[in-house]
Amino acid sequence: MVQRDLDTDTAVAHGPPPDRGSPEPLVSLDGVTVGYEDTVVLRDANLSIRRGEFIGVVGPSGSGKTSLLRTFLGQIDRFAGEVILHERAPGEAVRIGYVPQVETVDWNFPITVEQVVMQGRWREMGWRPWANRRDRSLAREVLERLSIDDLRDRSIRALSGGQQQRVFLGRALIGDPDLLLLDEPTSGVDIKTRHEVMHLLGELNRAGTSIVLTTHDLNAVASHLPRLIAMGDTRIIADGGPADVLNQTVLREAYGAEMLVLRRGNRLYVVEHPDDEETMPLGVVPLGAPAPPFEVASSERPE
Amino acid sequence: MFEPFEFQFMVRAMLAASIVGALTASIGVFVVLRRLSYIGHGLAHSIFGGAVVSFVAGINFYVGATIWGVLTVFLINGASRRRQISGDAAVGIITTSAFAVGVLLISRNRTFTRDFEAALFGEILGITDTDLIVTAVALAAIGLALFTFWKQLVFTTFDQDVAGAYGVPIRTVEGVFSLALAATVIASLQVLGVTLIAAALVIPPVAARLLTDSFSRMFAIAVVLGTLTGFFGAYLSWFVDSSSGATIVLLQAAVFVVALSYAGARSRYRRRGVRETERIAGMERLLN
Repeated sequence: MVQRDLDTDTAVAHGPPPDRGSPEPLVSLDGVTVGYEDTVVLRDANLSIRRGEFIGVVGPSGSGKTSLLRTFLGQIDRFAGEVILHERAPGEAVRIGYVPQVETVDWNFPITVEQVVMQGRWREMGWRPWANRRDRSLAREVLERLSIDDLRDRSIRALSGGQQQRVFLGRALIGDPDLLLLDEPTSGVDIKTRHEVMHLLGELNRAGTSIVLTTHDLNAVASHLPRLIAMGDTRIIADGGPADVLNQTVLREAYGAEMLVLRRGNRLYVVEHPDDEETMPLGVVPLGAPAPPFEVASSERPE
Repeated sequence: MFEPFEFQFMVRAMLAASIVGALTASIGVFVVLRRLSYIGHGLAHSIFGGAVVSFVAGINFYVGATIWGVLTVFLINGASRRRQISGDAAVGIITTSAFAVGVLLISRNRTFTRDFEAALFGEILGITDTDLIVTAVALAAIGLALFTFWKQLVFTTFDQDVAGAYGVPIRTVEGVFSLALAATVIASLQVLGVTLIAAALVIPPVAARLLTDSFSRMFAIAVVLGTLTGFFGAYLSWFVDSSSGATIVLLQAAVFVVALSYAGARSRYRRRGVRETERIAGMERLLN
């Protein structure tokens, strides 16, 4: 039997688990229901995000993942409950940075890397339409941190996928956020870019920034994160570590489909189409199955 | 060559056309990048309706048209906030209805049909000192609005959703933009006419876009092109004995063709440069 090492199959490179620092909450949702006009897009959400956390939000399209992010940003009408932004310092609210899906960006817009990053400082720039020395120095600092300083005068159209993602991270980081929200940062990008982005986010998280990202990628992204939130039909179905969320019961409720969850060491692997022999990874342990050796087919696999 | 400068009305006309060229180009940059080219056309027609209503009601044109224009943009903004109505549909419904009011009033009072030819096709030689002052005030007010809301306007033009997430007051910025657009159309009506305003809003920014990848440079180039084509369009119309609005727009179209040709030639030159570099690199690899 061919043994395939799942750990080399992943694009995510993480160092040691992030230092959680003080467990102070940054943002809390208390029974929050939000929506547009008469349509509810997130129901009765209760959760708290603490400093230093790295959270992945998973679930099918339309389950409320992006709505959850937009709720933190106060961008959706609130029908019930309370969104609590805690203080980063006495009298100063927690700062949130937002990175949209790159697929929604108008790449033909005539704008340079530095101009995009500077948008994150529009408030601090006051009445000035132009950036002063301090603004430019901060932008340079952020771009250096993201290793794209040499691209600052480049049009965003002329960048690679990883560089593009870094530019929008730069716009969020120039505001010195406590919490970074990313909407599908690995969607529509190649494996190398996904690896770059996740590596960078890991570094930012270890430096103290809390991160919440939405993803459809259960194996290369979600299963590596310390905390996951599963969404299904506009509700939070599960919230906890990968083992609490990436299990058949939660995935069935979230996606409405049977999935097989396999384990190899501490890693979980979700087989999204267990009936398809070709997608079955080899050399992994079905969750709850006896110790290896084993065959891929298991009692947990649907008939 | 200097003949037009000997006449006061021509000096006024060239000055007004230059201001209108700068105004339409500056607001046009945002119109084009927001993909709202249709709104200029619609708004001009709507304000024509306002002009007719003002005439019938005996109100000053600028007062009546401003009220009508502001009302129109707020109705468009309000309607397009509903998810079921897209922005272009809202523009189509509201501006055409506002225009239809004017057409209906004219059809019932055919005696003043000729009075509105100037509004429809532009009549630059009829520019009065008051018109010139109104145009200059509009330029100053819109310039101030653009200066004050520059960052917010650029951010919302680039990505309105994300700008909102970064705390940009979207409704205020959209309100300022809509009012500036309405003011531009009203101030340009006499020079360009309802039928040609949309072209003046779109052509200089699109030509500028072909020449640069930087927003601020695009804005500057568009304003320079708008101002120069406005001035020279009015100047040439003296010699050609043609409609000023049409001459300005045709001059802008000619500039667009030149910009398009230049951009095409530049692109070909760059491609050839890359091919040449690759060819030399290939030969070096072979030699080594």
